[in-house]
Amino acid sequence: MNTPQTVKTIQLLVNGAQIEREVEVRTLLSTFLRDDLGLTGTHVACEHGVCGSCTILVDGRAVRSCLLLAVQTDGTSVETVEGLGSLGDLSPLQEAMWREHGLQCGFCTPGILMSIEGEARSGSSAEEICDEVLSGHVCRCTGYQNIRTAIHAYFATRHGS
Amino acid sequence: MTTISETPRRVSGVVGQAVPNVEREAKTSGSSIYAGDVELPGLLHARILRSTHPHARIRNIDLSRLAGMPGVIGVVTAQDLPDRMYIHHGGPLSDRGVLASDVVRFVGEEIVGVAAETPAAADQALSCIVVDYEVLPSAVSVSEALGPEAPLIHSGGNVPVRHARRWGSVPAEQEAAVTVSGTYLFGRQTHACMETNTVTASWSSATGMLDVWISTQSPYLVRKELAHVLDLDVHHIRVHEVAVGGGFGSKSKISEYEAIACALSMKTGRPVRLALTREEEFTTAKCRHSFEINLETSATAEGMLVRRDASMTVDNGAYNHSGPSVMAYAGQVLGSLYRIPAVNVDAELVYTNKQPGGQFRGYGGPQAIFALESQMDEVADQLGIDRVDLRILNANLAGDTTLTGWRIDSARLVECLETARSAIGWQGRGAKAPEGRGIGFAASIHVSGANIYEGADKSSATVEVDTDGRVLLRFGAADAGTWQNTVVAQFVAHELGIEPDDVQLITMETDATPTELGSWSSRGTYMSGHSVGQTARDVAEELRLHGAAMLESPVDEVWLHAGVVTNGVTSVGFGVVVQERLGGSLVRTREITLTNVDQVNRETGISNLSGAYSFAVHAVEVSVDEGTGKVKVERYVAVHDSGQIVNPIAARSQVIGGVAMGIGYALSEELLYEGGMSMTRSYIQYPLPRAADLPEIEVIFVEGDDPNGPYGAKAIGEIVLIPPGAAIANAVADATGVRMRELPLTPDRVLAALHQRDRKPKRNYRIGQRPSRWQIAVMRAWYPRGLHQFLHKFGTRWGRPAQRAELLAVETPVDEAAASAALARPGARVIAGGTDLLPARRQGLVQPSVLVDIMTIPTVGRIEQSGSDVAVGAAVTLADLAIWSQDQLSVLHEAITAIATEQIRLMATVGGNLCQQNRCWFLRNDFMCYKRGGVSCPCYAVTGDHRYYHSVIDSHRCQSVTPSDLSTVLSALDATVEISGGDRKRSMKVVDFYTGPGEVRLGRGEYLRSVVIETDKFSGHDYRKLNRGHGDFAMISAAVSVATDMNGTVTDARVILGAMAPVPYRVHDAERLMVGRTVNAIDVAAAAEAWCRRAHPLERNEWKVQAGAELLQRSIAAALARTQSGGKP
Repeated sequence: MNTPQTVKTIQLLVNGAQIEREVEVRTLLSTFLRDDLGLTGTHVACEHGVCGSCTILVDGRAVRSCLLLAVQTDGTSVETVEGLGSLGDLSPLQEAMWREHGLQCGFCTPGILMSIEGEARSGSSAEEICDEVLSGHVCRCTGYQNIRTAIHAYFATRHGS
Repeated sequence: MTTISETPRRVSGVVGQAVPNVEREAKTSGSSIYAGDVELPGLLHARILRSTHPHARIRNIDLSRLAGMPGVIGVVTAQDLPDRMYIHHGGPLSDRGVLASDVVRFVGEEIVGVAAETPAAADQALSCIVVDYEVLPSAVSVSEALGPEAPLIHSGGNVPVRHARRWGSVPAEQEAAVTVSGTYLFGRQTHACMETNTVTASWSSATGMLDVWISTQSPYLVRKELAHVLDLDVHHIRVHEVAVGGGFGSKSKISEYEAIACALSMKTGRPVRLALTREEEFTTAKCRHSFEINLETSATAEGMLVRRDASMTVDNGAYNHSGPSVMAYAGQVLGSLYRIPAVNVDAELVYTNKQPGGQFRGYGGPQAIFALESQMDEVADQLGIDRVDLRILNANLAGDTTLTGWRIDSARLVECLETARSAIGWQGRGAKAPEGRGIGFAASIHVSGANIYEGADKSSATVEVDTDGRVLLRFGAADAGTWQNTVVAQFVAHELGIEPDDVQLITMETDATPTELGSWSSRGTYMSGHSVGQTARDVAEELRLHGAAMLESPVDEVWLHAGVVTNGVTSVGFGVVVQERLGGSLVRTREITLTNVDQVNRETGISNLSGAYSFAVHAVEVSVDEGTGKVKVERYVAVHDSGQIVNPIAARSQVIGGVAMGIGYALSEELLYEGGMSMTRSYIQYPLPRAADLPEIEVIFVEGDDPNGPYGAKAIGEIVLIPPGAAIANAVADATGVRMRELPLTPDRVLAALHQRDRKPKRNYRIGQRPSRWQIAVMRAWYPRGLHQFLHKFGTRWGRPAQRAELLAVETPVDEAAASAALARPGARVIAGGTDLLPARRQGLVQPSVLVDIMTIPTVGRIEQSGSDVAVGAAVTLADLAIWSQDQLSVLHEAITAIATEQIRLMATVGGNLCQQNRCWFLRNDFMCYKRGGVSCPCYAVTGDHRYYHSVIDSHRCQSVTPSDLSTVLSALDATVEISGGDRKRSMKVVDFYTGPGEVRLGRGEYLRSVVIETDKFSGHDYRKLNRGHGDFAMISAAVSVATDMNGTVTDARVILGAMAPVPYRVHDAERLMVGRTVNAIDVAAAAEAWCRRAHPLERNEWKVQAGAELLQRSIAAALARTQSGGKP
């Protein structure tokens, strides 16, 4: 059953770094990021693309990493929450998120951050993100209200800078 | 041991301040380590083989095929474990082992654990284990379990607990002027924590130590259970600190999978990770118990409550867990809210062959309050007393002791009621409300930690100051997203005069913290406020004592500030103080025991369960769409008496999140089963509120000062979730005059109740006069009379599901010719966005060995416009088509933006949406149904729950529908599909593309290439959709296009109903009543109704006929209006 075709070598940019890896064709991108690259900031919560926890950016677009095979990202640029900022060096969006208390258990937070980041870069307004984009995520703790405030605060800093 | 002696209140300092989350950076940077992120060398991945039957005897478990399987390292069955039951409720009520050894009692019960090098290898191993079952008769509902011929689920009978509480008596002078009664049904919900239950376990035979990283609210309770079932000393188990991705009660005790991972680690000698899948979480994690409560409330003419009589039946599921205490607590709530002289509660807990219930935020409170507070409105209305006034009249007051022995030391229920009334703007019943709007209230009471287990009245903490002046808190609870860690840091900071960020925390580590039972039963802030506060005060006192000596000042003239002891002139650092005076770190540990609580009395139900009781009043305004039955929450005010608020941000977050969860169970969330098998196994089948579904929630704290609460505080975590169901049902009653007694308030239930209110006649579908429907009508008639059981029992044995196949390759053709060639390979299938294909593959519906990725072919990824015609390539994403159509064809834009979510639309394609498999929750959830298994298998929707996603017109043997919203709107646009890949290119109308539910006219090797739309064919359009929540598939959709001539006469029309028939349903009846008439002469209502006589609904989806006609009427009217306004809305 293990024909040579079941694995494939892929090359991609992950958070700006060039990566070359051999992966099994059936491997999901979320699994590849977490298990092969150790980028555990990408959380998997539903495996169906419904909850948004595993959202990352592929070529700048906010997509579900549980709905892509790793081999489909060959030649693309992938960004995860680890690329957004790090402990002690948070991005303005991450900063806005905690300043407005948009997180509780934190499990859905990285996916939500990546969605907001992707949509903000592609020119969506704060209102569009609060309504439509945020509705692409399930958060069981916060009731979303503080996340909305954080989105507006983030946009205020973007316009301020 | 210390009893509480001092309780400082009305403090100024860090307690009470809006302190940000102490874990803010870790959580926003993604660097928090959750249990599934713990990396250990040699880590194995575990999976669990679970029962496929609701009730069966295990004759044999054949593991022989696992021998020598590559990557499979260890297996455990019940034989490998000590013969122990989980402690759970304790005593004779303990009824569940780690792995089933003899009998399985629900679908999903654990039988075998497997550890392998990879998750895939573990999955492979599961498929090679053969369990020989002797299927036993099952009882999957309470009525079946209590029936005369009910099978015994456990040897002691199907009612493990029954009690009759008789509290108080009615004084002779109180005469009841009014008595209301009713039966209240409360469905099952699941916590749906974002992080599924996950554990990483590592056993060392060299040291005899078991290390466990687990997503839990209570490391110490998990350790105790693990030690018991694995026969280890508790001190040989170390639970470690991790981030916890939500709990809501589900992780407040052991979750019946951890021991399997531990046993596998002990057997293999390697670390093992076991992370439940979302499906396992939905189908096996302990859920909220469903209740049936028969309640009767009496009051005097003046509105004083006289008595309450309840009989409750609780669906326990297959095992006890916390069922006995959830039931007992619900009874106590009935005996505690409002002053009342007599309350009787008869209750029985009933085993059923379903996933067991367990502890869930609110713990029986939501069920009891739904019944109790619904009846308060009914009593008020019958007496002609204002609904809020009636509650104020009977409100609990400070100093009261309830019939159940709860000593109410502080209560601001009256103020909460008054505040809620004014914040929502309630003017009383007579006040004129906008059409379809209504306001409702509900109050609640809840404990601040219930003393229901040994040691639950105790809490411990250790506070250390080292010679560098650093402050460390050791506390054994876990923060599952409640801000517990921030709150405990605040207590320490408050007492030591430092910033919360300067308090280092060690939590959850059972080897490095004193015993603390954890964060459940709303005990987090209350208990830690006592223990952490007291310990920190001890440390502060010593620092002051020694510091004062060093500063040569009197002790009462020094204070602590920013890490120093100071007298205002000179200061000395904490580090120097402990170095100089103690010669090393200052370490203090205190265990506190509440002195004002009783041990729970399981005989009478009377005991002071908790140190303090919180109160809440929620006020809500809803709108009810009487045409479709859809209820929307428009405004929400939550008013809380939780004593002094320790951290307003954290408390407010708890309230908003809890209300969101409450709106979920009130309107949409419900676990559903058929024959003991779940149909709600993913977020898509269990719609929980999303951002767009929720109103802005206003939170008001009516702060008080509890005399026994730490810093005057009482609990907040659970009470937030108790009032929403009752408040929303009361608001619906206010809006419509209809009293809804079953939650959730789904459109079908609301519409049925409105129908009854209006005494509408039942529709007659005249099936007897429609020979084309006879075959299906006969089949449906025979299903409940044995045909379903016959096909289910015998026919499914011949079921032919898709053969499992390994995914070998993903081809990326560069042009259409290459794609055609690739698709000609056996097992080849198109992949585009993958949003349906990959989940469907996991669900066993498709098993491609080669995927042909058409996203790489430029010609099928383009939108090409020539004149008024536009050709949309199949690989165009919905997001791109939404952008294109915004200005060009707004109806298409409206339809697309109602599909799923923005992130899915960025991936999903036009072709994928049109060709998606149907969404029937039997098909998607592993039922061996007609569609999955073939002709010998039953359609489970005929007798199962078919309220939302099944057909009401023209159904075949499969009762499902084509779910694609795009198919509905493109049919209305009279669009054409172009098909490539076969012998020749061909095209057909979209409406003709479908042959059945999610079945399309594509031959082998063919693929959908593009869709062609004539954009100016019609001048007026409309699309609308009714779904269960934001992003969900349609229950009903309607799309209408109209063309008119110069005189305003309709020359052409397309009227389409989606999700109502196996294929997009073209409503010719309506079109005939429109074409040839001027717009103003069209009888819109008649056109929208015309198809109804052709309907053939199932028993429980007839509401879709009613709502479909309503939606269609709105859609036709809107399309006609637009054609008159030149296409503009």
